Amino acid sequence: MTGKKLTVIAAIILAGMCVLPLGLGIYPQHVLIVSLFYVMMASSWNLLAGYTGQVSFGHAAMAGIGAYTSGILAVKAGIDPWIGVCAGTAIAALLGLGLGALCLKMGGIYLSLTTLAFSQILHIVIVNEYDVTRGTMGLQVPGLMAEYSKITYYYIMLAAAVLMLTILYRMIHSNLGLNFRAVQNDEAAAKSVGVKVLQVRILAFTVASAMAGFAGGLYGHYLLLITPEIPSLDLQFNVLAMTVIGGMGSFIGPIIGAFALNILAEKIRDYGEYHVLVFGLVALVVARFAPNGLLGLWRRFRTPTAHPLVK
Amino acid sequence: MFAISIMNGLVMGVIYALAALGVSLVVGIMNVVNFAHGELYILAGYFSYLFASALGVNFVLAMVIAVGLVFILGLLIEYLLIRPTYGNDMYSLILTFILSIVLQNAYLLIFGPYPNKPPMWVSGATDVFDLFLYGNQRLAALAAGAAVIAVIFVIIKRTWFGRIIRATSQDREMAELNGVNTTRLNMLSFGLGCALAAAAGVILSPVFPVTPTAGVPVALTAFVVVVLGGMGSLWGCVVGGLVLGLVENLGAAFISTGYKNVFGFIILILVLLIRPSGLFGRTKI
Repeated sequence: MTGKKLTVIAAIILAGMCVLPLGLGIYPQHVLIVSLFYVMMASSWNLLAGYTGQVSFGHAAMAGIGAYTSGILAVKAGIDPWIGVCAGTAIAALLGLGLGALCLKMGGIYLSLTTLAFSQILHIVIVNEYDVTRGTMGLQVPGLMAEYSKITYYYIMLAAAVLMLTILYRMIHSNLGLNFRAVQNDEAAAKSVGVKVLQVRILAFTVASAMAGFAGGLYGHYLLLITPEIPSLDLQFNVLAMTVIGGMGSFIGPIIGAFALNILAEKIRDYGEYHVLVFGLVALVVARFAPNGLLGLWRRFRTPTAHPLVK
Repeated sequence: MFAISIMNGLVMGVIYALAALGVSLVVGIMNVVNFAHGELYILAGYFSYLFASALGVNFVLAMVIAVGLVFILGLLIEYLLIRPTYGNDMYSLILTFILSIVLQNAYLLIFGPYPNKPPMWVSGATDVFDLFLYGNQRLAALAAGAAVIAVIFVIIKRTWFGRIIRATSQDREMAELNGVNTTRLNMLSFGLGCALAAAAGVILSPVFPVTPTAGVPVALTAFVVVVLGGMGSLWGCVVGGLVLGLVENLGAAFISTGYKNVFGFIILILVLLIRPSGLFGRTKI
């Protein structure tokens, strides 16, 4: 697809997304806002797992860092939520830098275990430090604007998602993106042609963490109640399932996955709380039989005789 | 207080070691971390509850059936999910992580969120060195755990099967050249790893009832023990398990109960910072 064609399609989709909520009720608008949060989470996680091959289980924890930083600053110090969100993003980035550096020398399994440990420590601290975080009761936080309006929140989240996706797209389609891929495919080979493997990995970790912190901060101020549900393994699983089902390592995959699963969850909810089980089963089948996700399936269907070198 | 924490630490340490042995075995041979390890532990607890309490089977027989069923399930998981991912560690991580969430939610659907508990083997309590009264069931769990660990050590250090396992985890290609069917060995050792999780589950579930999500801390602890002891090292599991059991229980008694599980993770991060290969691990990771 040429760049021009792509821009036109993106513009049409964006225009559609701008008009979409106008005719909808409050509840569908809520579903869309949550979907946009997940688009941001899944796309930034995809940068880590899909492009640099680092399966982090601490991505939801980073969203939690963003949400709680901003929330605590607003509640305890009366700081404006917008400044709080920026602070949350910065702290998530710093922690991402630290975690990334800590996991430097280790490959796959160690990185996953360390990020898992990080997210569990964070969860336990939040539940236990009741005075600061209100534990499992949740921290009530002010909204992003004086008067609560679903539609305004929708546009804020849409703008944030578009901003983030633009940054991600630019990154992936630059030299840096090639470096990411090189590190994922063959670390030794990447090193031998002069890719600074460690820096590339840490950079991906920092950027992805900052994005999760940003998304989490906005999400917290939208929900108005920040609970340990944000930095939980369940949310981490949702992000992972959306990315895997949509198509890991592709730009559009996580976006499709986030919308599809979130809307599917609403449909399943009519029959009871089975959506996590269904997600899990679907994700299991997709990861096992179609490792490139729905997007990969669609591409394979469209180009049955593609050259084997074309991914 | 101090003495009883040591005792609790020993009991938990032995169970941690048992759970970690299963993880370590699979990591050593296949380089796969099974994130659903804790859920298989829980499944064995449910099975033994189901057979012993609901169907009235003798509790020993119920435990054997439970471990056997989880072993077969382990073979199936390896065949259906893990085998296609050979050579891609990332996908086996993702698949077993998804599997653990699926199992948790399936348990929730089938057994509900309430704790379930198989019958106790023994009742009453024993006076330990005139210091405190300790539940007989916990002492029995300690003995059973130590016995299973001893059996595993004998199998791995003394039998032909054990020699094959050690050879394959040291050098896979060389073992293949010497005629080891590594595909079948993978399947068998994955099943064995799951059966060890199940053994820990049936031993501990009369003391700590099973709930759908109770496997998560067990699996995480097992991972910490494996990293602490050194990936693939059996002695590392035993020492690591005991260290972690003692640290957690002493920490809970003297620092804070709420932070009991954090101590393990702090150990994990410290080990990774200072000595990533663990206490007994090979130097290369």
